[in-house]
This record gives sequence, structure tokens and C-alpha cells, in this order.
Amino acid sequence: MGLFNRICTAIFDVLLAPFGHGRPWFDLVLWPLVGGILALLVIKAVSNQAGITRAKNFIQVHLLEVVLFRDDLRTVLPATVKSLGYNVLYLGYNIVPMVIMFVPMTAILVQLVSNYAYAPLPVGSTALVVAKLDADVGGVTPADVKLDLPEGVSLDAPPVRTPDGEVAWRLRLDAPGDHVLTLHAGAATETKTLAVGGEPRKVSVLRTKSWEALLYPAEAVPSAESPFEEISIQARKDQAMPFFPDGESGILGWFFGVSLLAGFLLKDLFGVTL
Amino acid sequence: MAPRTRLPVPYAFAVAYLLAPAIAQAYIGPGAGFAFAGSLAVMVAAFALAIGTILLWPFTFIIRTIRVGNPYKRAQARRVIVMGLDGMDPGLTTKFLREGKLPNLQKLAEKGVFRALDTSNPSMSPVAWSTFATGVDPSRHGIFDFITRDPCTYAPILSSTDIKNAERVLNIGKYIVPLGKPKIELLQKSEAFWKVLGEKHIPSIIQRVPITFPPVKFRGLLLSGMCVPDLRGSQGTFSFFSTANNEGKAAFTGGEQTVLRRKGNVIRSRIVGPDNSMVRDGGRMTLPFTLTVGKDKVDISIDGGESFELKHRTYSEWIHLSFKAAPGVYVAGIARFYLSSVEPDVNLYMTPIHIDPESPAMPISHPEVYSVYLAKRFGPFATLGLAEDTWALNERVIDEGAFFDQAMAFCDEREKLFFDAVAHTREGLVTTVFDTTDRVQHMFYRYLDPTHPANRDKEATAYADAIPRVYAHMDAMIGKLLAEVGDDAVVMVMSDHGFTNFRRGVNLNTWLFREGYLALKDGHTVSGDWFEHVDWSRTQAFSMGLTGLFINRKGREKEGIVADAEYPALVKELCAKLEALVDPENGKPAIRKAVAAFEAFDGPYVFEAPDVLVGYEGGYRHSWTCATGSVTTEVFEDNTKSWSGDHCVDPSIVPGVFFCNRKIAVEKPHIQDIPFSILSLFGHTPPKQMQGRMLFAAPGQEGTVGGPLDPRSLPQSGSAPGALIFPEGADA
Repeated sequence: MGLFNRICTAIFDVLLAPFGHGRPWFDLVLWPLVGGILALLVIKAVSNQAGITRAKNFIQVHLLEVVLFRDDLRTVLPATVKSLGYNVLYLGYNIVPMVIMFVPMTAILVQLVSNYAYAPLPVGSTALVVAKLDADVGGVTPADVKLDLPEGVSLDAPPVRTPDGEVAWRLRLDAPGDHVLTLHAGAATETKTLAVGGEPRKVSVLRTKSWEALLYPAEAVPSAESPFEEISIQARKDQAMPFFPDGESGILGWFFGVSLLAGFLLKDLFGVTL
Repeated sequence: MAPRTRLPVPYAFAVAYLLAPAIAQAYIGPGAGFAFAGSLAVMVAAFALAIGTILLWPFTFIIRTIRVGNPYKRAQARRVIVMGLDGMDPGLTTKFLREGKLPNLQKLAEKGVFRALDTSNPSMSPVAWSTFATGVDPSRHGIFDFITRDPCTYAPILSSTDIKNAERVLNIGKYIVPLGKPKIELLQKSEAFWKVLGEKHIPSIIQRVPITFPPVKFRGLLLSGMCVPDLRGSQGTFSFFSTANNEGKAAFTGGEQTVLRRKGNVIRSRIVGPDNSMVRDGGRMTLPFTLTVGKDKVDISIDGGESFELKHRTYSEWIHLSFKAAPGVYVAGIARFYLSSVEPDVNLYMTPIHIDPESPAMPISHPEVYSVYLAKRFGPFATLGLAEDTWALNERVIDEGAFFDQAMAFCDEREKLFFDAVAHTREGLVTTVFDTTDRVQHMFYRYLDPTHPANRDKEATAYADAIPRVYAHMDAMIGKLLAEVGDDAVVMVMSDHGFTNFRRGVNLNTWLFREGYLALKDGHTVSGDWFEHVDWSRTQAFSMGLTGLFINRKGREKEGIVADAEYPALVKELCAKLEALVDPENGKPAIRKAVAAFEAFDGPYVFEAPDVLVGYEGGYRHSWTCATGSVTTEVFEDNTKSWSGDHCVDPSIVPGVFFCNRKIAVEKPHIQDIPFSILSLFGHTPPKQMQGRMLFAAPGQEGTVGGPLDPRSLPQSGSAPGALIFPEGADA
């Protein structure tokens, strides 16, 4: 997981570099477009195109049957059921390309989210940092967890420790910079970056051991022996594209819409039935 | 405590899809998006349609009940199925019944009835089927022939349809954008009986009945038949691609040839499509293709379209042809290809380009999506009115085998459409017309007559069983129908006319010229097509179409010279002379009866009728040159074309057939009785204009006319030896 993240991040750091974070629209147009084309190629290569065509055709047949014979309920009801049945079949034909596309599409999307979904927190604001201990590692309690603050960040309130292994700190962000927070639990130490002020840039909101690390690749995955299961920071969502929600859901929606549009517009060019 | 926003987890994908589709789909990627967007739309549409239909059904039921009550309250039948077999001949049917080739029709006759069905005058499909549709004679529905003359120009025009371009257009540079649809008008007058049924809320599915283009709106479904044009707007223009002729393009009747230039094994050529009305001086749209010659096959690749392999002496499937009219505007058609030879010359035949039923360039069904539904359900199918390409065989571009295969393939397509209609009509009317019987008899009748002039330069035995095969094929279909519908439905099998021999052609324009009724311009003794050299200022009468003779009347024709006062006498004089016309080859009369329209008809459109309807004896018909308005050197000529059987003779010679699974109450049924009877069977009083009679007995009573037809009652005038029911020496 860690290796995969490092490779993807290294590749995308290069690919996303030309226009940088100042002009996110370029990457947010290019990569959904690439995603749409990639999807078309995969669908063409691995899907049962004849089956998809047939299933779509029969869906249309039975919908038209409902329209044409609407006075006859003995036709309408079976036709409705059949159209839904073929709909399930149509979805079935799309499972293989969906599975194949899952990895590259997720990789692209995660990198876009990682780079463009969040903004550094503003100077003078407060931020909540939460550390969760790994119950499987053991030997450490919330009372053992300590936080070293770098210059430019101060404690706004005493930490809160919960019985289920979480510790939370409210920090005051006094100066801009990519600050490194150091967390101690017994002999173990982990770090977490905290982006404050300055130009838009890649922001990491979560370090985790779980599979979710695939979705937050900006920082290294904690080692298996680390007592920390995850360390998170309150995110400040950025609005990457106008008219779209801020944060990851905006990027998700945009990526979905543009890649879908690209696919539908280019399907004939690629000779693909969707 | 979780201050950050977490992304959805993949293993919860299905749930997430339902709750937050955009997020879930995006994480799987656009592939899933394509699938789910489409599926979601389908689900929404299906549920909306189903729920809407179910919710609306009680209201429509109440409205129907208030308006018409129970539409079947007085019905003797709730389901009527009419299977129209165009041109099925009672004589040949009887012959094949006696030979045991038609077991299902035999059962039908024994259980119900088989009689000859009197037909319209003239006895041709557009006229007879119009009478079937409306229940009135031609002077009331206004269709007297396939074509008539434009009285302003004497040029031929279709009798049934008038097509005009959109009246208003927007000119943008070289493009002409129509602001509205082309105006397509059905010229058939009166009212189809299925429209009357629709008003009574009795559903109908009408398929391929001639003269139903453009489709007229009514409460039911209709697929147009005869007179639907091809994509080029003609009644069928085939294409013939050949490396044989190096002199450039050659024209055929009903088709055109493109000369192929071969470079090694590769040939580039193009398919000629319809006129491009969206571009000023756009000419015809074309579709380039590459043909690669192989061993006993060719590979054809249409630019921007389909690629397919075509083996020697086989047909392709329907190939979609998409002609680009303007940016983003395409006109869709379908055609089938047939490779008749590969070496030494490549000879490739392409059917006329049919309107694509899945994306119709013109309305060919009502509602328009009906043809879309049929095409999606059963695949592309022939839509051209005269789909079976008789001219390609007449011109010997294809041979009998290719024609027969084509006709049977189209028949199979229609069988699927027909049984779909039957399956969807638990109550109401289904009417489907199959043309195969007519076309095959036209083209294979010579096989029944060893001395037929058309046999002289052709083989005359290989397809001797073509006509019985088609009859048997239809019989099997009838068996399937009877098994499917049971006894509750009233099943009628009928034809619009029968068939007889066509050995000799008669050019009445030449006869009129010789008799002094038709004048040619000075210096001419013959005339080309469409009265090229006719002097209208001195012409009293002319012939156009397949049975009609027109008087050049003052006040009707542009250069008419016959005054109203002279008209009746002239018509009677012509009728008498025509009935005395003798074929010099055998000394026998060629015309049984010539009828004055003003005596035969009394409907409101008699003024539009041919003034004389020529009823030939069996074996005769208008010659090919007469039909196209030519004046030639001979009145009589042998018919040497493959089109060797016909029915454009005196109607008494070519009645149709009428089978029904119920007995009837009328000994000599007429085609106009059928719509009258169907309306009556459903318990509704036919409209006053209908001229037919009720064929069936009153409710609760059994018909007295039933069983097989007495074959001795049938006319056998001009029948070929192979069509005679009682060949010489046989026991009747």
C-alpha cells in the first residue's frame, strides 16, 4: 500500500507539475478526459459489446412496448419487469470493465483530491488534531500520548483523551508554513504535517494504517508496529471548480461529470457501445 | 469523534450507489458511470411509465366507458385477424388444395369457408386494398391505379401520395435548413375502417396494407406498406456495381449501374443515396466504399460505416447506410447486397435503399416509434412498399434464385412482425398483408406455361415449384396462426385479386394513334416515354397506367380538346372499338370488357378516374411501353420479361380468395364486404358511406355458406397449362 502510494504520488507529482496548483482547471479537465477515454478503451477491450448492445436494445424494446400497448396492463407489467431484468443484465455486462478500471481510476481521482480538494488552514485560525491509538499494538494508553509543537503553532486548549483510545488537541495556527507535528506514545514517535497559510498546495489531512491510506497518499503510511492507527487534521475544503461543491465531493462530481461527458461524446469515435 | 470528511468505502459500493450515486460512481470511474447513468435512467423511465400507465388506466377506462360504453357489448367476436395474401389466386389455391399441398387452408375451408372474393375494378393492389381499407369503390376512395396523369402536364404522378418539401426554409450560406417537416399527404379519400374501430376504442394493428403511406393517425398501430418510397424517394431503385461495362454508367428500368474500376484486388466506388436537399445544388449524397476481391467472395468496407464479407451468390444482412447531409445531419437507410459473380467480372447487386425503420427519414408507421419498436425487437426489415425487387430480375441483374431468396427473406421478416401483432392483440383487430405471393407469381408464372414468350431466352424448369412453394409456405404460417389463436378469434385469409398469364402486351397508345384518337407531332410515327412527341392539341384520348384510358377533356386536362357534349359518345365509341380489338396472332379478342367510368361509378371522385377501364382477357395486359406512355410500331407484342403473370385484366377473371374459420351467409363475397363485416362483427354499425354487406349470419345463427369452393365456378381465362385446375383428361 505504501509502495503503491509512493509510486502513484511520484508519477502524479510529475504529471501535475506543469501547471501546478495555481491553475487546477487544467488538470481537472485533462484527467477526467483521460479517464473517460481510458474507460472507453477498457470497455471496448474487455466488455461484451454485443451483449451490451443486445441488453440495451431489449431495454428499449420493452420500454417502447409499455408506451405502445399502454392500454393493456397484461402487456405493460411484464414489459416493465423485462426492461428491469435487462437493466440488471446490462449492469452485469459492465462489471468486468468496472473492476478493471477501479484501480487506475481511483489512483487518478485520489491524486486529484489530494492535490486540489483541500487548502492550507489560515493563519490565526484553530485546527483540531486527532490521534487514534491502535488497539492491536497495545502497551500505550491515551494518557501516554504527547504532542510536540513546532514554532508557529500553539496549544489553544488542553488535550481531550477518550476511553476508546483517541486524543484530540485544538491548536492555534500563529505562523504560515508546512509545520511538522511530532506525536509521542511511549517510545514511539510519529509526525504529521500541518499546512498553514501561503499558496495553494497539496494538503494531507490523514495519515492512517488502514486501507484508507490509498485515498490519502500525501504522507507515508505509519509502520505496522506504530501505536498510532491514524492521525487526522481538520480539513479546510477548497472549491476547485466554480458551481461545484468544495472539497472532495466537488472534485468527485466534476470528475464524474466530465469523464462521463467525454465518454459519451467520444464513444462513436472509439466504436464503443455504452 | 471524526472531524475530517471520510471518503466512501468501496465495499459499501452498492449501498453508497443508492445513497450517494455521484460519489460512488466517480470512485469506480466513468465506466461505472456510463452503466449506472444509463441504468438509472432506464429504471426511472420504466417505473415512471409503468406507474403512470397503471395510475392512468382507471381514468382512461372511465373515460372510455363514458364515451363508448363497453366497446364489445354487441360484439360477435372480440378478436379478428385478417391475413392478406396479396394476389393469392383461387384457381391455383384450389389446384394446390387438391394436390394436398395446403393442409391448413384445407382445414380452414372444411371448418369454415373458402370462396372466391370478387375484387375491385381495376383489379390491382392499390385499388383493391383501398377498397378493403375503406369499404367503398374506387370512385369513393379515389385510387384507380398506381399512377395517374397530372392533368396540368400529362406527366405521371403517384395516385396515392403527394410529397412536398417544407414550405419555409432558412438559408445559411450553402445550407438550406427546413423550418418544418416535408408535407406528405395520403391522397386516398374516405376513411379506413380501423379508424372507425379506434374511435370505438377497439385497438388495431395494421401492417403493410397497401396505400397506407403516409400513415394516418388513429387509435392503433400501423406500419405502412405498398407505396412507401425508398430513401431516394422512388418506388425502388436498385444499384448494380460491375466491372463488366467499361462504357460508363448504364441505366436500367428500376435501377442504375455503376462501373467498377479494378486495381489489383481492390475496387473503390460509391453508393449513390438520396438528393441532398439541405445543400444548395448538393446533388446526390454518396457513400464511398472499398471492395476487396477474394476467392469466391468480396470484402466490403463502407467509409465510416460497416465492413462485411460477402460470399458468392449470397445476400448480406441488412447493412446500415448513413448519408451525411450537413454537419451533424445524417439520413439513415438500409440495404442488402448480393454478389452474383466474382470472376471474371465482379457483379454486385444492392437492393434499393430502404428507409431505416429504426431511424426513419420519413414516417412509415403510426405512431412513429412503432417501426422503431419492431426494428429493435426483430432487427432491420424491408420497408419499401414494393420491397421485392422485381425490376432487378426483369432486367436480369439478379437471377430467379436471388429474387426468390430475397422475397422469402422479406416474407420471414413480416412473419415475425405479424406474430408479434397477434401476440399483442388479445382483443381487437390485426391485419397484415404479405406481398410475397403476388411478387413470386408475377415473376415465376412463366414456369407454369412451357410456351410462354418469356421462356425463350431463359431456363424454364429450375423454379417450376416456386409458386407452390410460396403457397405452401403461407399455408404453414396459417397453420401456426390457427394453433396460436384458437377458436375464439375470427381468422380471415384473403387476397385482393387472383392471377393469370401475361403472354401478350397491348399498346393502346399505338392503337389510339392508328385509330386517329392520338396525334403525334409532325414527322413522328412513334413516341418515347411519357408522350414525348404527342400533339395534345389534336389528341382525344391517351393511355397511362396499367388499365386506364383517359379522354383529353376540355376543362380538366391542360390542353383538353374534347368538350363535355362530345364526351359520352366518344367514351362509348372507344369502349365498343376496344372490345372488338383482336390479336392478329390468334384472331381472338384481347379485351373482354371496356367500361365507361361514368357508367361504372357514381362516387364523388369519378371525375378523376380514367375514363375507360380496360378489362383484358386472360393472357393480355397493357404492354410495358404502353404503361409508360410510349407510341410504338406494333399494337401487340410478346411479353418476354420475367414479369410473366399479372392481374390487370377484367376483374371477373381474377377474383381473390376468402377463407374464414366461420361459415358465412353470402355466396359471392366481395372485397368491400370485409371491412363492413369486421365492423359488424365487433358490434358496431358501419358508416353510411360503406358499400359492403355483412358476410356473417346474425348473432346466434350459423352461416349457411361454408366448405370448400366449387372449382368449376372459377374463371380460367388465359390460365397457363400449369395453372389449370382440371388439366385436359383429368377427372374433375
